Amino acid sequence: MTVRTSNRRVAIVGVGYSQVARNSGLSERHHAAQAAIAALADAGLKAGDIDGVGTWGGDAVDFAWMMGFDRLKWSLNVGVSPAFITPAYHAVQAVAAGHADTVMAFRIMMQQPSSAALAAGGAMLGAPNPGDTQWQYPYGDFSPTQWAGLLMNRYMHESDCTEEHFAKFAEVQRNWALLNDNALQREALSAEQYLSMPYITKPLRILDCDYPCDSGSAVIFTTEERARDLQQPAVFVDAMALSAIHDMNFEILPDMVRTSPAHCAELLWSRTGLKPSDVSTAHLYDGFSVITLQWLEALGLCPPGQAGPFVAEGNTSLGGKVPTNTDGGAINVGRRHGANFCIEAVKQLRGQCGARQVEGADVSVWANAVGPFSGAMLLTKD
Amino acid sequence: MNQPAPPPLPDDPSTAYFWEGTRAGELRILRCRSCGFYVHMPRPVCRNCQSMDLAGEKVSGKATLYAFTETHKAFHPFFVSRVPYLLATVELAEQPHLHFLTNLVGIAEADVRIGMQLEVAFEELSPEIVIPVFRPVAAMAEGSVAS
Repeated sequence: MTVRTSNRRVAIVGVGYSQVARNSGLSERHHAAQAAIAALADAGLKAGDIDGVGTWGGDAVDFAWMMGFDRLKWSLNVGVSPAFITPAYHAVQAVAAGHADTVMAFRIMMQQPSSAALAAGGAMLGAPNPGDTQWQYPYGDFSPTQWAGLLMNRYMHESDCTEEHFAKFAEVQRNWALLNDNALQREALSAEQYLSMPYITKPLRILDCDYPCDSGSAVIFTTEERARDLQQPAVFVDAMALSAIHDMNFEILPDMVRTSPAHCAELLWSRTGLKPSDVSTAHLYDGFSVITLQWLEALGLCPPGQAGPFVAEGNTSLGGKVPTNTDGGAINVGRRHGANFCIEAVKQLRGQCGARQVEGADVSVWANAVGPFSGAMLLTKD
Repeated sequence: MNQPAPPPLPDDPSTAYFWEGTRAGELRILRCRSCGFYVHMPRPVCRNCQSMDLAGEKVSGKATLYAFTETHKAFHPFFVSRVPYLLATVELAEQPHLHFLTNLVGIAEADVRIGMQLEVAFEELSPEIVIPVFRPVAAMAEGSVAS
């Protein structure tokens, strides 16, 4: 006997957000419920249609019972991992294998303590490996902004990227956000304004960081057959990949430029007939700005070492070669930990992006995380 | 005004070799006794040959700067009075890609260059916590950084 699995084509049929806000005052369950209700309404499905749940944040079974979903055939809680792509990737596998038919993947994320609270004492950010903090804390290394500063400096050392390019990146992302009613940051921003802001971990400034908030995101995956009967134009998963190359200590990565996304992109392109030149829109994680630049290069959307100039020349803007982070990115829509990139890719392929719609978009890539681990998914129109 | 305490070390017998070493003015890195491979951060097994026979061993203290960032914001009370400070990833001379996170001292941020040669020095944060920090080789003649 072998385990019986199918090899079904998988579609995304529903997407939804909670009332995303800074210090929303709502619980994880509120954000999960709001996002689930929005995704069901988007798909035209009922709660009883969902028979599988995966989440990072909260508990899948708790959410399913709360929501009145069907008896679950499949469920998964993920911990520290490449953000939303982890529950999404495994949800696709569950549907493809025939172990569940209609699966909801969540990322529920509550705002973390501010740096002021950390400096005052009593608050600490979580550590993936508490035993390893003795190699970090005594040197004053507490915050992800610090490994991001290390990665930025090393990246600038090895590439043509400058601080002015990071400034341009912030401006380009904000220009996208100005076209998105759901962005939390919607005031015009110039590269000059970026450069006038203080450093946090030089060369990193606050506008290189995603914007802290409480958020809930939900995406519904189902079979091609079911997708054909639903109200939205179906968007298909063409290929996907997860990669892990190192333990969670970003600060001692052997190579801070060609990190996990390089491996992940290699896997992704080996699993599809599509090529980098086929990509209409890219949705690349921007927990820190340098991550998006690493992904542009890793995926082959621009030549190695050229992501800074590539962005500054307008190639990732509306009308550019590879419109990127068309929702404005997490720097502007708030920290949704990659779910926003999946959801925006789906909306681009459905043609529902209004003023920021990329004409004729038919292939979109979305990608999560950097450094030790990462994931990417290629989506297509019919 | 009382200076806040540095973050305490965990109670971890497996890394006693390191902290005893720094208090004695030595930088010790875990090394596999079967194949000679250095393992940092310390783990119970050698990732090169899978032997579980490892022990801390004194290294030269020579290193090359791989990456750095100047921290301007404090994320812990102890560091409020220390910002800005230089956090650095250095490659220890003993083995390619043997990266160690540390502080860079004795140099202004504007003068820091990736690839520069460094040497270890020791700084006492408390009687228990002595940390290895790194400074440019050329500055070594100017005396100890230890407080």
